[in-house]
Amino acid sequence: MAATATAIPQPQRSSRRWSPKRRRENIYGYLFLAPWLIGFFGLFVGPGLWSLYLSLTKYDVIGTAEFIGTDNYVKMFTNDDLFYSSLWRTFYFAGLGVPLGVLGSMFLAILLNQKLRGVAVYRTFFFMPTLVPLVASVVLWKWLLDTNFGIVNQTLISWGISDPPGWFSDRQWAIPSLIIMRLWGSIGGTQMIIFLAGLQGIPEELYDAAHIDGAGTWGRIRNVTIPLLTPTIFFNTVLGIIGALQTFAAAFVATEGGPGYATWFFSLHIWKQAFDYFNMGYGAALAWFFAIIIVTLTVFQMQLSKRWVFYYGE
Amino acid sequence: MCSARRCTGSRGEGGNAPSSDTVNLIWDTFRGPGTGWNEERIDTFKESHPNVSIEFRPLTGSSQQDNYGKMYAMHAAGDLGDIVAFDPSHYHFWRAIEAGIIGPIQDLADADNLDQSQWFEQFMVLQHYQDTLYGLPSWGWAGHDTLVINKKHFDEAGIEAPDPMGHETSMDTYGEWARSFYQENERFGLAFAYGESAVSVLCRIWNTSFIDPEGTKCLILEDENAQAALRWLYDLSVTDGVLPAPGDNLNANAAQLEGKVTMVWGGSLNTRNFQRDITDESIAEAWQGLFPTREDGKFPSQIRGGTWNMNAGTQHPQEVYDFLKHITNLEGCIGFNLVAGQGALVRPDVLQELISQNPIHEWFVPNLENGIPAYAPANSRGREYTDAIGQRIQILLDKNAPIPFEQGLEELHKSVQDVLDMEPA
Repeated sequence: MAATATAIPQPQRSSRRWSPKRRRENIYGYLFLAPWLIGFFGLFVGPGLWSLYLSLTKYDVIGTAEFIGTDNYVKMFTNDDLFYSSLWRTFYFAGLGVPLGVLGSMFLAILLNQKLRGVAVYRTFFFMPTLVPLVASVVLWKWLLDTNFGIVNQTLISWGISDPPGWFSDRQWAIPSLIIMRLWGSIGGTQMIIFLAGLQGIPEELYDAAHIDGAGTWGRIRNVTIPLLTPTIFFNTVLGIIGALQTFAAAFVATEGGPGYATWFFSLHIWKQAFDYFNMGYGAALAWFFAIIIVTLTVFQMQLSKRWVFYYGE
Repeated sequence: MCSARRCTGSRGEGGNAPSSDTVNLIWDTFRGPGTGWNEERIDTFKESHPNVSIEFRPLTGSSQQDNYGKMYAMHAAGDLGDIVAFDPSHYHFWRAIEAGIIGPIQDLADADNLDQSQWFEQFMVLQHYQDTLYGLPSWGWAGHDTLVINKKHFDEAGIEAPDPMGHETSMDTYGEWARSFYQENERFGLAFAYGESAVSVLCRIWNTSFIDPEGTKCLILEDENAQAALRWLYDLSVTDGVLPAPGDNLNANAAQLEGKVTMVWGGSLNTRNFQRDITDESIAEAWQGLFPTREDGKFPSQIRGGTWNMNAGTQHPQEVYDFLKHITNLEGCIGFNLVAGQGALVRPDVLQELISQNPIHEWFVPNLENGIPAYAPANSRGREYTDAIGQRIQILLDKNAPIPFEQGLEELHKSVQDVLDMEPA
């Protein structure tokens, strides 16, 4: 018995000794991961931590960074005329633009999800604005919405509207103009594609069941489509809000923050402070404050999602 | 690393003679890349300085200002070239001097008996700081000193257009024209450039200035002339509503080409560009109107320009200085205009050459000879300064959401003075 017992092979402990094959696999694994890891730590984590340190300094690129504690954070709340106003403008832009964008994309996706002849062509057409480079689309919209000679206002005047909006040149209309420009590029874009994927993931039998229960078109949309699209709505809303809060390029190119600070968004304020005025430390502090705002908002949305997002099969 | 003075001094009596050893220089610039001008300057310099090798490193950024950030970072990393440019009219010249990035060339110029009269005097003023020469001129013009005019409208109205080289037309007359040429939804008589350049010249027309020459004080609240200047503009823009609103500016030049604007507040180079860009001569003919002579005899203008500088840490100041002269001499400056495509009206002889090619350049001579240099914030907060004026003047002059003149003036003054009161950059 004893001999038998000792003959039973003990499972080799996976401990420190890896077989050459396993070791080779690990090396290959890390080699394949290396580009991403290098990028993640070298271009994201490293600079991020460095900017956190910079936010506690006075730094103008030319000289050495001088540690000043939390002065930059105190300054933004107490001694920056553009801090609150740029924050408010940014939330106004996101608050108006994101719901319109998400709803527009969703209803466009519902329309383009119909089994109609030639629908693929329509999908392509609606997606095309997404492919236009931002600067080109800004120039285009600057012309279209030119207050005095643009085709939009000329058309409105020909329809008898004697005092059409000032669009980009009007402080009241500058942000709505940017939202219109953004919607043109985004409603038929990535969000719509994601909604289409979400729609096509809804089981057909649910529609059949609703139909048998007497639901009409609107009833099916309200009781089947929308509830089962809530994960997609949630996803697009989260990404939409993050993207809208970070909006920069459109305002930078179209209006340069004007007229009269009307489109001076928070991201533009950060960029101005850091890269135009070379107040790098203060710019870093603004960026970290904004990152905290966005993370907090996202966490809040995720908590809230438990109340309205439904996952089929759960 | 050595300062220009120490390096020059170390060569003793023969301090200005180029060294015989091979000298390697680096030229970092965002001016001219891709045109061949930089390479041509290097090749021709080598003919007279066979022992000097110059590496040209083009800087590219989405805007000119982007490149200054790069150059500051290169300096901090110890990698900035020997030949650089920190332009006064981009507000980086003084900052770069104070930070020890660019060094003086005064001693080298003195030892060389440099004839500084080969450039217009006003552009040489911009090259000095605390009575010391720090560079030689690159680009330059007289700023927003002109009303770029579509003469066709004047001809059609039977009005004699102003003398393009004269300074007799009053601002009242220009104001009347701005109103009379305006046709609702059809045409503007005048488009104003809502920015620091135009506002500064506007105040100079009224014999004052937006900020004092020292760059420490905004004058618009206490100076009645400055208020009169801004009031003239406010009446046109807000009270009468005959100017395009702020924010419409980006299309003003294009609209003028289509005959939809009679006068655009710009500068000499804009006049030249307008002439160049006209495709339908039945719609537009390029002309210009200058502003009335000031009480001190000066012509309202704002001489703005760039510079070529020597890195304060260069090991080869003599060769750098020689190269600065080479790129700013007659041939270098002509090429800078015609090959590199830059606007460099900084030399009388270059202007003569440009006049021989296009007589319109003659219109620009008076203000170059008798202009007024730009004033800049003493604390080198030029970017904050231009933003403060640009944004606040738009609020003051916004006919879509009018505010009382006095309120707009106070807010504009406060914003600008806040910038001037900042600690030095």
